[in-house]
Amino acid sequence: MLGRTGKIAIALALTVVVGYWAWPRLARTAEVSSRTARTTQPPRGGADPAFNLISPSPHGEWSLPAGDLANTRYSPLNQINAQNAKNLRMIASLSTGIPHGHEGQPLVVNNTMYVVTPYPDYLMAIDLKDLNGALKWKFAPNPDPQSQARASCCDVVNRGAAYGGGKIVYQTLDDNTVAVDASTGKEAWRTQTGNVNDGETAAGAPLIVKDKVYVGNSGGEFGVRGKLNCLDLSTGKILWTAYSQGSDSDVRIGPDFKSFYASDRGSDLGANSWDQERWQRGGGTVPGWISYDPELNMIYYGTGSPGVWDADLRPGDNKWSTTIFARDADTGDAKWALQIEPHDNYGYSESMENILIDMDWNGRPRKLLLHPSRNGFMLVVDRQTGELLSAQKFVDSTNWASGYNLKTGQPITDPSKATHEGTVVSGICPASSGAKGLMPSAVSPQTGYLYIPAENACMDFDAVPANYIPGTPFIGALVKMDPGPGGFQGELVAWDIKNQKKAWTIRDKFPVESGVLATAGDVVFYGTLEGWFRAIDARSGQILWQFKTPSGIVGAPITFLGPDGKQYVAIYSGVGGWMGSVAFQDISTDDPYAALGAVGAMAQLKQYTAAGDNVFIFGF
Amino acid sequence: MQLRLIALFAVLLALALAGCEQQPNASAGAAPPMSVVVGPVPGIGSPPQGQADPYANDVLGMAQGRKLFVWYNCYSCHGGHGGGGMGPSLRDRVWIYGSSDAQVFHSIAEGRGKGMPAWGLKIPQSQIWELVAYIKSMRTPQEPEPPR
Repeated sequence: MLGRTGKIAIALALTVVVGYWAWPRLARTAEVSSRTARTTQPPRGGADPAFNLISPSPHGEWSLPAGDLANTRYSPLNQINAQNAKNLRMIASLSTGIPHGHEGQPLVVNNTMYVVTPYPDYLMAIDLKDLNGALKWKFAPNPDPQSQARASCCDVVNRGAAYGGGKIVYQTLDDNTVAVDASTGKEAWRTQTGNVNDGETAAGAPLIVKDKVYVGNSGGEFGVRGKLNCLDLSTGKILWTAYSQGSDSDVRIGPDFKSFYASDRGSDLGANSWDQERWQRGGGTVPGWISYDPELNMIYYGTGSPGVWDADLRPGDNKWSTTIFARDADTGDAKWALQIEPHDNYGYSESMENILIDMDWNGRPRKLLLHPSRNGFMLVVDRQTGELLSAQKFVDSTNWASGYNLKTGQPITDPSKATHEGTVVSGICPASSGAKGLMPSAVSPQTGYLYIPAENACMDFDAVPANYIPGTPFIGALVKMDPGPGGFQGELVAWDIKNQKKAWTIRDKFPVESGVLATAGDVVFYGTLEGWFRAIDARSGQILWQFKTPSGIVGAPITFLGPDGKQYVAIYSGVGGWMGSVAFQDISTDDPYAALGAVGAMAQLKQYTAAGDNVFIFGF
Repeated sequence: MQLRLIALFAVLLALALAGCEQQPNASAGAAPPMSVVVGPVPGIGSPPQGQADPYANDVLGMAQGRKLFVWYNCYSCHGGHGGGGMGPSLRDRVWIYGSSDAQVFHSIAEGRGKGMPAWGLKIPQSQIWELVAYIKSMRTPQEPEPPR
């Protein structure tokens, strides 16, 4: 008979042997697995743009999170093109010293690059005229250490800063918005916008429009009440707050509110569409991106999933979670709302990017809003009215719903995938982490394609009763994710907006958790969770060049003109976030339910990458 | 010899520093003396370092600990079955604040620096010991509801 120690020794030896055998085989599968047939490849050069940009980004600088107000992440720079991209090389690299998920992107203003690190949320100013010299300055906001364990699953990320009026403005994890003088690095003002003790945190990037700063909160997994704050850029004073739940006055719904669909009209729906007072812990946070239309003077953003994932605990539509809001940029008054998943069953947070373009739609010029949804559907919305114009699957495995009824704006759900206490519902696609995460897409008027970083993961969902204990997560679900069907977990999807279908896709072993950048040189940039940074042909999807950075990429690329007038591209290399957190040492791979279920799909990630903290700049 | 000198110097320095710190207390008059030794692993007070979990190897206690692990939302930070997430894994062999029953008890009761809440005043001690029993059972054949 073997003792327990003997059994453990044998098990360990087996693990080592199997691990040794599996390693090279796994490594080989990391290659790009396949590319679907190319269908409609737009002609190169000369053709009319597929749509019109409403707020082109400033030439050569990157002063807002998405480069421009409309969140296109499209740059007019074209020195790097499909012919010469293969000659790209690393110009500079530097370490931030914080080995956590580097989401978001740097800014470039006035020959200075500004980098916000994960917690403790340092702001670093890098002189582009002396890349290998000393930092210009480093600002330390000293956030409350308790905020680290309140960071919505599963990492202490920050999605970057915005520039306006000579200030760099960003949020710290402990709910402060700070403005820092862009030239001196001295704090100009600091405003507390939330309470970290209740689990409220702040990781989203602000948007600055004229004299106003817009910031959203995080902490949907902690039963936080979602909100958007508008601050005065010169003083930091809070001008107004728009909550995601509560009375119409709390949500800033008034006489101007005209939603397209009947289900989004009615009084005090932010409270009445919940059981009793449950809206007070209703989630619907705003951790993502905010867009602005200068002509309509409206801002657009999406809200997160409703508080507590166990849907049985919150009967009703649970407004205004999983909602796209259109608001007057000055007053904050809501113009319309479109709830994407009434009574969400899956933890699908819809706080992702909304991309604004003007384009002919079925022969008629329209102001469009593109929302590649967490739930797997590519939503095209009229941004003046809130009408849903198109909702096609962009990740094939999506099965919680078969589509949307464009007449009612409602999803056509599969009842067999509805989640309830006491049953484990398996094979729900996508997983809670979504058909895409929070890192944003890019769009090119030269190709008419939207480039979506996508995930192909499914899940088993076990709804369990949850107690609300302030400062602890309010989840009520044991989730275990699995790789989706098809032998790949990530895709870069080129979505043909006009024809409402995929043009082509580049598939990868792991979910694509990086943001995307499109350029006038017909080159698209993005990264993979293993750490590859790629330049691809915007029309064909051919990989033109790639560079292996040391850690997985969960940030978004930017491009700018250097002091020498040459075009450069910058990207963070530092794995983390939700799916990426599985690379961290303090997450065990023998619990597929760990990291809110991500380990079930991502256990192999540790074999490919580990925590990192780098900023890379590429050029010629 | 040199080591002894260093040790002597350290003791003298500690005494000198302690003297400095005591001065404001001395003038205030009423502060109670702090005499509990804090070692490299934080955690003070009763139960003593050596106390064993009354529910160790108790199948019912471990199962109850598993229930409490879900009931008190522990799984949302530390993973569905303790593999980690927002908080560190409890399944690996890394114990930042010590692995003895009493040390794990202290970590739960007192909370820890990066945001672990202090449960000592929120839940009964017996439940903390049941949680300890469940946590210590992870990766053993006795683990209730092992992950699959």
